[in-house]
Amino acid sequence: MKTLASSLLFLTVLFLAAGLAFADGAPATDPLSGSSGAPARHGTQALYGDATVPLKWLPPGAFFPDRGPSDVVFPAQQMTLRFNHKGHLALGLQCVSCHAAATSQRAEDDLIPTGRTCDGCHGTDHGDLTRVKGGDSATSQCAFCHAMSAATAAPGAGVAAPRVVPFRVPKPNMVFNHKKHIDRNINCQQCHGAVEELELATRDQLPRMRGCFGCHQMADPAARGDANGSCETCHLKDGSNGTTQLLPERKGVQTGFRMKTSFPEGTLKPPRWLGNAGHGPDFVERHKMVAANNSELCSNCHKEDFCTGCHDGRVRPRTIHPGDYLQMHPVDARMASQKCTSCHREQSFCLGCHQRLGVSMSGPSEIREAGRFHPPKHIWSDAPRKPGHHSQDAQRNLNACVSCHIERDCVTCHGGAGIGGGFNPHNAHFAAGCSYQFRRNPRPCLVCHDQGSKAIAQCR
Amino acid sequence: MGKGKSRLRRDALALAPLGLLLAPTTARAMDPELTTDTTAQFYDVRSPSGETVLARRRLTTTLGVGVYDLLEQPRPDGPQLLFRARMRYDADYGASGAETQVTNFGRVVPGYDRNAVDLMYGYVEGRRFLKGWLGFKLGRQYVTDALGWWSFDGGSVRVTTPYWVAGEVYVGLEQRGGMPLSQPRFERDGIWRGNRDGYDPALALAFQANQIAPALGVAAETAGIPWFHGRVTYRHVSNTGPSYVSVFNNALYTGTQYDAPRISQERVGASFDGTLPNHGGVKGGLSYDLYMTRLATLYTSVDAFLTKKLTASLDYDFYQPSYDADSIWNFFQAAPMNDIGLRGSYDATDKLSIAGGTHLRIFANQTEADLNAAGRPDASPNLSKTTDANYYDPAKSFNGGGDASARYRWGEGLAGVRASGNLGKEGDRVGFDAYGERILAVRYVVNGRAGLWHWNDKARADRAALGANYMLGAGYVLAPKSRLLVEFDHNINRISGNRFRLMLWLTVAVSK
Repeated sequence: MKTLASSLLFLTVLFLAAGLAFADGAPATDPLSGSSGAPARHGTQALYGDATVPLKWLPPGAFFPDRGPSDVVFPAQQMTLRFNHKGHLALGLQCVSCHAAATSQRAEDDLIPTGRTCDGCHGTDHGDLTRVKGGDSATSQCAFCHAMSAATAAPGAGVAAPRVVPFRVPKPNMVFNHKKHIDRNINCQQCHGAVEELELATRDQLPRMRGCFGCHQMADPAARGDANGSCETCHLKDGSNGTTQLLPERKGVQTGFRMKTSFPEGTLKPPRWLGNAGHGPDFVERHKMVAANNSELCSNCHKEDFCTGCHDGRVRPRTIHPGDYLQMHPVDARMASQKCTSCHREQSFCLGCHQRLGVSMSGPSEIREAGRFHPPKHIWSDAPRKPGHHSQDAQRNLNACVSCHIERDCVTCHGGAGIGGGFNPHNAHFAAGCSYQFRRNPRPCLVCHDQGSKAIAQCR
Repeated sequence: MGKGKSRLRRDALALAPLGLLLAPTTARAMDPELTTDTTAQFYDVRSPSGETVLARRRLTTTLGVGVYDLLEQPRPDGPQLLFRARMRYDADYGASGAETQVTNFGRVVPGYDRNAVDLMYGYVEGRRFLKGWLGFKLGRQYVTDALGWWSFDGGSVRVTTPYWVAGEVYVGLEQRGGMPLSQPRFERDGIWRGNRDGYDPALALAFQANQIAPALGVAAETAGIPWFHGRVTYRHVSNTGPSYVSVFNNALYTGTQYDAPRISQERVGASFDGTLPNHGGVKGGLSYDLYMTRLATLYTSVDAFLTKKLTASLDYDFYQPSYDADSIWNFFQAAPMNDIGLRGSYDATDKLSIAGGTHLRIFANQTEADLNAAGRPDASPNLSKTTDANYYDPAKSFNGGGDASARYRWGEGLAGVRASGNLGKEGDRVGFDAYGERILAVRYVVNGRAGLWHWNDKARADRAALGANYMLGAGYVLAPKSRLLVEFDHNINRISGNRFRLMLWLTVAVSK
C-alpha cells in the first residue's frame, strides 16, 4: 500500500512538473519575460493567460472589478519571479512549507522565502547569493524561476552572461503582527484570499482594509473582542520625529498622536466607503457633513490645528477665498452668508473690520465714511416699501445685515413706539407665540419695547 | 496702563496650570512634541471709497505643546493619557493705538484688540480607561457636531459601551470674547459683546460686557458599526450678568440694564451617515433651536457609487438664521434658504481626481401683508400691503451656479485647478484658480497660484470688476515637519489697482 501511494505521489509530481514546464510547449529553460521577449507561461501571472481573478479568490473586502490594495499602504512591487502556488500546493506543500517566517510580528519583515527554501527540491544552492549554483535539471536553472536580464559581463569577470533581475517588494506602510493572527487561528486565506487557486501571488492578494473591518470594528468599541478598532492598530502613527520607527524603549508602541498620512508613495486618504468621506478635490465643499456627524473619524488623521487653520485662522485660505477676495466678498456674503458664518462671527470678525474701515454705521465717528453703501434712501428705506427695499434683502439674508449693523441701527426704526419708529419687523402671528421666548429671556423684547408697553403686556 | 498690567497678571495666572503641566518630571516613555507656526503678513485694506486705508502689518504666532503617553507603560490597546495645548499671539502693528484707547470715543473700535493672546485649546485627555469604557477631557476643548464647531472650558466624559453606543456629557463655560485668553469665535452670533473694562457706562451701550456663560451638553452616538454612524446632541448655554437693554444714549433710557440669568442657546441636533460599499451612501443632519422652536439647519446628501471611480451626489441644504437668545434679530422676519445641488467626482487615476457640481439656491419672498395677532393686516405703515409692487412676485426667487475642480497629486507635489461661478440677483462671481506645489531635492519648496475672477455687485454697479491674481512662493524644508516659506501675492483690478501681500511662514516642530 505504501509502495502504491509512493508511486502515485511520484507520478503526480512528475506530471505536474512536466505540465509546468511544457504547458505552452515552450522549453523549460526559456527566460520568464522581459528582456528576452519570451512568451509568458505558467507562474508568471495570477492565472494562466492573465485571466481575471474572480472575486471569490481575492482577499475579503475586495471589490469587483478590483483596483487592488492601496498603493500607499502597499507600494508598487517589481515581481520578477515565476511561481505557481497552485502547483506547489498540489504537490502536498503547505503555505508554511515556504513561508515559515509568516509568524513574524512586524509588518516590515520580509516574508518572501529565500532561495535556500527552494534548494531542497530544486537542487540549487543559494547559500552564497553571489555564487548561486544551479543543478542539471531544467527546474534548477536560474531562468526557471527568475527573470533574467540580457547577457552582460559581471564586474571583474570577462564572460558576458544573463543576470537575475532583482525583485523589489517594498515594506508596507502599516502595522501588522502575523503571529497574533495565527495564534487566533486566523488562516492565511482569511486575509490573503484563495492563493491556493492561483499561480503567481501578486500584490492583489494583499489584504483590503474593508476585509479587516470584519473583525476590527471602528471606532474602537469598549471591551468587545481582541481586535482593536482604533486606526493605530493597523496604521502607522505620525511619529513626532517624522519617522515611523518603533523605538525599543517604547516596547513596540508607536510614537506620535495621529496617523501618518504622508508617504513617498502618496497621501493616505480614506476610501469613499469609509464614513462616506472620500477626499476628492471638492471635499472642501462637502466635509462639513462628515465632520459634523463623526468628528472622531476626522481626528484619527487631523489634529485640531488642521481645522483651526481655516475655521479659526488668521491667514486667508486661498482655496476658499481666491484672488482679491476683499473686493468681491460682499457678493458672496449677500448670496450665501450662512457659509461665512461657519468660520466668521459676524458681530465680531465682520463688524470689527467694517467699523475699522468706517463703512459701518456704528464705526468710530472720526473715521466713519460719508459715502453711502446701500442704494438711495428713497428706494432702500423709505415707506412704503417697493422693489429694492431693504426689508426684502433682510428677509432673504438677515445675516448680511448682522455683519455690519449693531442692534441700535435697527432699533432706531424697528423699536416699538416710544423707543424706535414702530416699524414692526416681526412675522405674522408673532405676538401669539412670543411669550415662551419672553419667559426664558426677556432681554431682546425689552430692547425694543418699554417694560410697561402694551406689546410686553401681551407677551406676559 | 494699570488695566494692561492687570490683564497681564490675569493672563499669567491663567497660564500657571499650563506651566505646571509642562514642568520636568520623572523620565518616562512620554512622547513630547513642540510645534510653532509664525506668519507675518504685510498688505493694505482700502474702504470702498478709498477714504480709509488700513495698513495691515500682522504677526501671528502659535505655540503648541503635546505630551503623549503620560502613563507609565503605554500599550496600543490600553489606557492613554495625553496633554495638548496651543496658544496664539495675533498682533497688527499697523493698527492705530487710538483704536483700542477706550477713552477716545471718536476713534475706539469696541471689541478690537490689536495684540490678542488666546489659548486655542489646552486639555488633558484620557482614552480607553476602564477597559475601554471611559474617556475624558479636562480643559479648553472643542466640540464638533451637528450644532457646529464650538469651544468651552470644562470637562467632558465619554462612555463607550460594547453595545454599539457611546454617551458623552460635558459641563463648563463657553469660550467668549473679552474673557482672559479667549476670543469670540465660538459664541452665538447676533450680539456685539466684549470687554467693557474702562468704558464710560453711558457710551457704546450696544456693546455688551461679556460675562461667564455656563454650558451643559449631552450626546449619544453609535460606536463600532463600520457602515453606519449617528449622533444625537443637545446643548444649553446661559447668559449671565447685566446687559444693556437701552441702546440709545439719551436721558430717557441710558443705563437701563437687564441683569438675571437667562438662556443664550438651547439646541438639539442629530446627524448620521450610512454607507453600502458597493452602492453608495446617505448623510444627513439637522439642528433645532429649542428657544425659537424652529428648525435652524437641515442637510442631506445621497451618494451613488456609479462605478469604481465615479460618484454622483444629490445634496440638499436648509438654513434659517438664528442667534444668541439675547439678540433682537431672532425676532426679525427672515426666510430660510434652500439649496439643491448635484455633484459628481471621478477618480481618473490614483493621482488624478476630477469633481464638478451645480446648485440652485431658493429664497422665499414675502408676497402678502403681515398679519397681526388678531389675524388682520398689520397696522405698521411699512408692512401694509398698499400696492402689488410692494412685494416680490413670485414667492420664490433663485440664484445658482456651479464649480469644477481637478487635482493631480504625487509624492513630491500637487497641481490643480478650481473654477466656480455663482449668478443671482445679489451679484455674480465667476472665475478660476490654477495652483501647484513641488518639493525639489527633498529640501526646496516652490509653489504658485494664478487666477482670473470677475465679480458684479448688483447692489452697487460701480463695484464690478475683472481681477487677475498670482502668487509665487519659495521655501526651504528645515526638517521633516519644519519649513520656511516666503509668498508674494499680486492682485490687479480696476477698483483697487495693484494690491500686494507679502507673507512669511515659519513652521517648526521639535520632538524627543
